[in-house]
Amino acid sequence: MIRFFVVFLLWLAAMFGFELTPWGQAWLVEPWTSALARFSAMLVTLFDPGVAAIGKVLRSTSNGFAVSIEAGCNGVEATIVLIAAMLAFPAPWKHKLVGLGVGIVAVQGLNVVREISLFYLGQWNRDVFEWAHLYVWQALIMLDVLIVWLVWVRTLPRDSEAGPPPAPPDATAAVAA
Amino acid sequence: MKAPQSWFDGGRRMVAPLIRPQGLSPLARFVLVVLAWLPLTFAVWYFAAPLILWPAAMLAEVVARTGFGDIVRAVEQHGATLTFTTSLRPGQTIAGGVVSVDVNMLLYAFGLPLFAALTLAAREPKRVKWLWVGYACLLPAIVWGVLADFLKNVAITAPTQVISQAGFSAWQRETIAFAFQFGSLILPAVAPAVVWVLTHRSFLESIRRTSPR
Repeated sequence: MIRFFVVFLLWLAAMFGFELTPWGQAWLVEPWTSALARFSAMLVTLFDPGVAAIGKVLRSTSNGFAVSIEAGCNGVEATIVLIAAMLAFPAPWKHKLVGLGVGIVAVQGLNVVREISLFYLGQWNRDVFEWAHLYVWQALIMLDVLIVWLVWVRTLPRDSEAGPPPAPPDATAAVAA
Repeated sequence: MKAPQSWFDGGRRMVAPLIRPQGLSPLARFVLVVLAWLPLTFAVWYFAAPLILWPAAMLAEVVARTGFGDIVRAVEQHGATLTFTTSLRPGQTIAGGVVSVDVNMLLYAFGLPLFAALTLAAREPKRVKWLWVGYACLLPAIVWGVLADFLKNVAITAPTQVISQAGFSAWQRETIAFAFQFGSLILPAVAPAVVWVLTHRSFLESIRRTSPR
């Protein structure tokens, strides 16, 4: 357990540190955030044609209301936490890769729901928007990360936590001799 | 022969899970119960914030006066807002004026209702004890965020004349920027999850034991 948390914190610090570098911002965070805004706009236009994405801004063309997707709202940090937790947990690499693929989609999927819901909450009531934006969705996204991680842990083979199998009796005897 | 230790409970005797499958898996039931608790824990957290965050405010004041006594004159709590009154002057045009910084403590404390909902939904024995333990463990994370927010205001985002009075060097400002980002983007969300996992290993193992494999 201690080893898991130490490795988790190391992965977390490394990835979060990288995210904050100019290179990480330019090549990862900003393109990702713009893509998120475009994808959210694409989904919204299925039922509301008066929405457009400009860079990382989701904007209503009918009333001018806009939300800018900033750090903490693009799901990058939540994804980093999930990746760190899966990489740190003792599991076969095949399971880790599958878990990362499915988990990142699950976290980012809920994050798209967050963006779209905030876009409409902001047009409806600014106080509710602030509450949902600053507190509720932050907690829900982390709950999502925790649930995805728990579901993934449940799917792991039981022997993946126990470490390497014990040495065969012959080898043990040879070492003892 | 020693039995292999479980990863979650470290080999300790496990508590029988109280959540019984009723069509749903224990994990699905747990998630639903967490979602049911969240509105209540958020409501209590919000309306009782002045009381709940009072220890965090006291701790922040102690740290601010100890570590930054040269620029912090007073720290006062107003509801969920912590006001730092500094010795820094906003400019030459305002005689006798000093810079004060308001920090919304709720921004760094939304992990408390999340931790409470997770703990209550797990329905483990001694959950009141674990609520207090989690609360105590999360207070430093809240204080971290509040202080980093204050320092970011006086060292990075304030007008140039205020920043120069604060006297932070370039590397100190970089450190403050990182501390603020970490304290606002990672710590408030991760800390409750980490503390909950650490304090509920037997519950996690009970969920794990009911896995389909």
